Amino acid sequence: MLSKYLVWMLAACPLALGCSQSWPEPKQPLADAEAAARSAREVGAESQPAAKLKVTLADEQIAQAKASIEKDDNERATYQILRARADAELALALAHEQNALNAKQKAIEESKATLDASTPKATP
Amino acid sequence: MKTISALGLIMALSGVVGCGSAVMPKELASARTAYDRAAAGPAASLNPTDLHTARESLDAAESSFKEEGDTPKTRDLGYAAERSAETAESKARAMKAEAETAQIVEQMHAATAQRGKMTSEELARANQQLASKDQALAAQGAALGDEVKRREEAEKRAAQAAADIAKFASIKQETRGMVITLSGSVLFTSGQSELLPAARVKLNDVAKALTEQDPEALMVVEGHTDSQGGADFNQKLSQQRAQSVRDYLVSRGIAADRITAEGFGPSRMIGDNATPEGRANNRRVEIVVKPKAG
Repeated sequence: MLSKYLVWMLAACPLALGCSQSWPEPKQPLADAEAAARSAREVGAESQPAAKLKVTLADEQIAQAKASIEKDDNERATYQILRARADAELALALAHEQNALNAKQKAIEESKATLDASTPKATP
Repeated sequence: MKTISALGLIMALSGVVGCGSAVMPKELASARTAYDRAAAGPAASLNPTDLHTARESLDAAESSFKEEGDTPKTRDLGYAAERSAETAESKARAMKAEAETAQIVEQMHAATAQRGKMTSEELARANQQLASKDQALAAQGAALGDEVKRREEAEKRAAQAAADIAKFASIKQETRGMVITLSGSVLFTSGQSELLPAARVKLNDVAKALTEQDPEALMVVEGHTDSQGGADFNQKLSQQRAQSVRDYLVSRGIAADRITAEGFGPSRMIGDNATPEGRANNRRVEIVVKPKAG
């Protein structure tokens, strides 16, 4: 959850001097963001335009966060991961929503077919 | 709200204040809009947990803006808060769709069950009708079998009776019907119209045969004589003899309204009256069986 990550970030902040030095490397937040993006893909985010855009953004921000970590800019990486995590979770939610809407449409069609089958046909 | 309190406390302790401008970043403005929209929609009732998370994210961004102004951190927090609100909305819409799907499926199952019930009732009704028809057909079949058996037995009896008659009479099929010819000498004493005892036995067989035949056929008993003697006498004798035979057959079960008697005297000879044999052939009684017209 994003709120958990916020707490992690805020707890990390006082450890740094002026929020720019000795910021801990966000290993767990990075792993969580990557896991969220993976989950979004698993439920079909890449086959739905809105979700695909978000998961792509998440990937890009994860890549940027990794680059920031390479440059020892853990604070920047932390906020990039925050963005990535938010995008990945939104992608996952959108993919779930689309699946739910598809299931509803299918149920409507099946229900209509069932109703048609149980309605006596008029004979010419 | 604990996160929000912790945020304020941590910000104060770390001395991160007043680092940016007072112009609100668009990320924060978008986050506020997104949260307000989510709070006014189905997420408020269907997904309060995620809506609460979105509120916490927005509060973090608001605090950052208040403390630091338009900084990259504020923009990042605002960005995340907007996505958090959109996530809460999306999850609420998914929950709504899932609930509606469940309702549709339930209604469909109910409709299917109802249809199944109707089908079972219709099947039971159809089976009952079939059973009734089977019963009726079986009864008809039995009746038909009985009728066939009765007819076979009747035909057998008629054939036997005809065979018995053939021992003392001739049977011919003519255009006027079936003609049973009995010799006058077999039935009567010369010049008399009273049946001989032996004649009664033979007429019993005739009566039996006639009752086995078509029950609606009409019969005429015709009396014939040779040419010897007076014409009036012969005419009268032939009539009396025909009447004797007719009355006896009626007494043996032939319906009186089906049989009549008529005397023809010597008028319809079948043999030569000049010879004894011819005259014997002319002295006869014929029973003509006419099938019912039409």
